[in-house]
Amino acid sequence: MVKEKQLKILAIETSCDETATAVLKFSRGKVEILSNIVSSQIDIHKKYGGVVPEVAARHHVENILPVTSESLARSGLRPVEIDLLAVTSGPGLVTSLTIGVETARALSLDWQKPLLAVNHMYAHIAGNFLQPISFPAVCLVVSGGHTEIIYLKDYWQFKKIGQTVDDAAGEAFDKVAKLLNLGYPGGPAVSATAEKFSIQNFQFTKKIELPRPMIKADNFDFSFSGLKTAVLYAVKKMPSKEKEKRTAEVCWEFQEAAIEVLTTKTIKAAKKYGVKTVLLAGGVAANKRLRESLKAAAEQVGYDFLVPEFKLCTDNAAMVGLAAGFLAKKQKVKLDNWKKIKADPNWELV
Amino acid sequence: MIFMKYISKSEQETRAIAKKVAAELKGGETLCLIGDLGAGKTAFTKGLARALGVKQIITSPTFVLMKNYKTTGQRSIKQLTHIDAYRLSEGRELEAIGALEYFNGKDCVTVIEWADRVRDAWPKKIIKVEFRILKGERREIEIK
Repeated sequence: MVKEKQLKILAIETSCDETATAVLKFSRGKVEILSNIVSSQIDIHKKYGGVVPEVAARHHVENILPVTSESLARSGLRPVEIDLLAVTSGPGLVTSLTIGVETARALSLDWQKPLLAVNHMYAHIAGNFLQPISFPAVCLVVSGGHTEIIYLKDYWQFKKIGQTVDDAAGEAFDKVAKLLNLGYPGGPAVSATAEKFSIQNFQFTKKIELPRPMIKADNFDFSFSGLKTAVLYAVKKMPSKEKEKRTAEVCWEFQEAAIEVLTTKTIKAAKKYGVKTVLLAGGVAANKRLRESLKAAAEQVGYDFLVPEFKLCTDNAAMVGLAAGFLAKKQKVKLDNWKKIKADPNWELV
Repeated sequence: MIFMKYISKSEQETRAIAKKVAAELKGGETLCLIGDLGAGKTAFTKGLARALGVKQIITSPTFVLMKNYKTTGQRSIKQLTHIDAYRLSEGRELEAIGALEYFNGKDCVTVIEWADRVRDAWPKKIIKVEFRILKGERREIEIK
């Protein structure tokens, strides 16, 4: 695989509630995304206030083949021209992962193309691999299920140096949205409400102070469960007639607290590990305030800062293809590799 | 099992109560945790896991729904299965994620957070742990 001038990859991602397929072309150090299709189920899960596993799986089954054939059609390639298949096999919801994994295995056998299993968290990081990176680097990966700091020596050697000890950051956003009746998905809902407050003159009106959990702790771990509980107390203390007006303030302060901890600890890790680049990845990397905050803090110290464009932050298959393209440079994927691949909901980066 | 009501004044106390409960477990039990956001279910699970000798960090399983941990120390208990039913709406969804095979496994302790959402899938014998938020940081924890 290393010597091939071109590598054309079809990648599949179904770890949660997005059915996604992408086709990428690697040639002489350049990467081109030929197609990147995402069929989102957000509208379907909205009425339940969160992803319902069985409903998600049923929609993956219905969507996976149309999405895959659309992606292939838009890329202008035929199956015979694909060199490598890639699929997210974990971590994620087992019922969702299984649909993508089994589809990819079937395609591998039918098309006689090798299949590579990709870790979803590594794929999020790989969303940054469209541009050249100066290593070493640290990457803050934040999503609905994960919050971790990964140290990368290069594209292939990495280790987890910090993580949440309870809830993921994205999960805290979702739960705060639920406490405040803001709807689903919680991240964008909390941010939009926070924005309403920040455009007012908050210095004179801000009364709520939330904690910055573990910000001073001598490690790179996070805790968001207590922050969520602090929001609960703040809401309980509010006089009921002020509740609606103060919701924006709570959202603003919660978002600031979460982002301050995420930024501070990532920069602390960058200093400790003497990196050249700070990366941001994962669904919560679509949060505008977090992007601004980490970028400013990283560039102030003199680090390069990279974050994928919005559509490569939330779940997609292009990032899975990117990850596979880099992994394939270091390993030969056998034609019968599909036999060994199965969904692994708890596959963590270590 | 000591069936009683506790009042916890802090997260640390909630963990300590969980430790007491852990000391009574022999393996094969299913603990159904019921209570609102921020009531202390995760703190309780962390305390329980620590007391059973789980070395890993117990993180919220809300996203992947179920996490399994190896325990050390307790002679008859080998595994802790941590399930979060927050996003489930009925018991048969537990079957889809493969959770039922752990229920009442002799060397396994199962903890289900938001257990009231999957009441129809409860095994016959359970330990119910109900959390109520009182004033401030105080919580009532009832075990029955």
